[in-house]
Amino acid sequence: MIEISSDVIRGYNDTIILFILLDEPSYGYDISKKIRALSEDKYIIKETTLYSAFTRMEKNGYVESYSQSAENGKKRTYYKITELGKKYYEEKCQEWHLTKEVVEHFIRGEQ
Amino acid sequence: METIKNYLETMFANLPNTLEVKKAKDELYSMMEDKFTELIGEGKPENEAIAIVISEFGNLDEISESLGINNVVSEMETTDRRLISQNECDNYIADSARRRFFNSLGILLCIFSPIGPIIFGSIGNAVGIDAIELIGVILLFICIAAGISLFMIASFLMRDWKFLDKELCTISYSTAEYLAREKEDSQSYKLVLRTLGIVLCSISFLPVIILDTILGSSFSIITEGFAPALIFIGAGIGVFFIMFSGAKDAAFDKLLSLNDTTTVAGNYEPVKKVKKEYVSRAAEILMKDYWKTVLAIYLILSFTSFNWGSTWLIWPIAGILRKPLTEIFLKK
Repeated sequence: MIEISSDVIRGYNDTIILFILLDEPSYGYDISKKIRALSEDKYIIKETTLYSAFTRMEKNGYVESYSQSAENGKKRTYYKITELGKKYYEEKCQEWHLTKEVVEHFIRGEQ
Repeated sequence: METIKNYLETMFANLPNTLEVKKAKDELYSMMEDKFTELIGEGKPENEAIAIVISEFGNLDEISESLGINNVVSEMETTDRRLISQNECDNYIADSARRRFFNSLGILLCIFSPIGPIIFGSIGNAVGIDAIELIGVILLFICIAAGISLFMIASFLMRDWKFLDKELCTISYSTAEYLAREKEDSQSYKLVLRTLGIVLCSISFLPVIILDTILGSSFSIITEGFAPALIFIGAGIGVFFIMFSGAKDAAFDKLLSLNDTTTVAGNYEPVKKVKKEYVSRAAEILMKDYWKTVLAIYLILSFTSFNWGSTWLIWPIAGILRKPLTEIFLKK
């Protein structure tokens, strides 16, 4: 089975995470679970990848973090998308359309 | 879950102990914990859950940027600290216990040393030949010489471990945890020996009082010779037990304090507790060579006053004073 290459997807980790956060604020494991579910188990994001994305995006002002206790009393860091984050997400979507279009030209499909 | 925690601690062990690193560790742990709990909830066996969590953890190098470190991996490779394995730790503890045994035996002989002059002095008095007391004095010197030889053997035993003070060394998280657990386990054994020692010291006076009351002054060889000698035998063995009881503790503490407190591993709870820093260099020298200093004071006082009957009290007093003195000289 072909696995997804982390080199290729790296540039879109932020986009994927921001997409999850569009609906509602969320925390680490919940985000990774949603990514896995939405990608139909084809992409399992590593914890370190997730964490580095969080800190990078927080530094750039795309997300904000706050801590909140869950029902079982466990304290978790929640992330919330900012206006700047939404704008960045839109840009990345457009960038992807372009990238996809360009790369598509060079793929010999077996459709 | 313990395995996952150990894994994470080991991964982070050599990283600097900064706020960013701690935050990253906590955050990653929280995610791993969530994942683990869910996998177990799905009915996965624990081993499988652990394997999944660890395999999906990723690479620490990836978060180096957010930790404010250029490269985690190269950082780890350039640490020139010598890693002490669990096996080496066990050997070190065994050697330390052996050293403490010889040291304690040396002190025991030093405390026993006045027995010669006391017994032979009283025999000399009883039979009216003073020269007999000389045998006692010779015995005293033999005891002290043997005691000092034992101190020398003890320091010789530790020659292979000198590097612990000279080189920068480190122990892994799991070794630290193993040592902390072993130390905990050895506490009851320590307490028994220590109590036995204190009891022996306290009752060492009894024979002389009892025999004196029963016999009066009619048997001077017993009341002035053998009975006082029993004080030294009791006190000697008592002090030996007290000294030896802490043998392993000192070794555990030494190993646990190896890790640099600026790293995550050095910040591990039992390590923090045993890291000793003294207020001044003089205080450090005094406390590190505590028993040698006490021996010097004991010998000087004994030979100048020739009051062997009471100078041995220096040993239990020194034993009691050690803790408060350490408290005073340690940096808070």
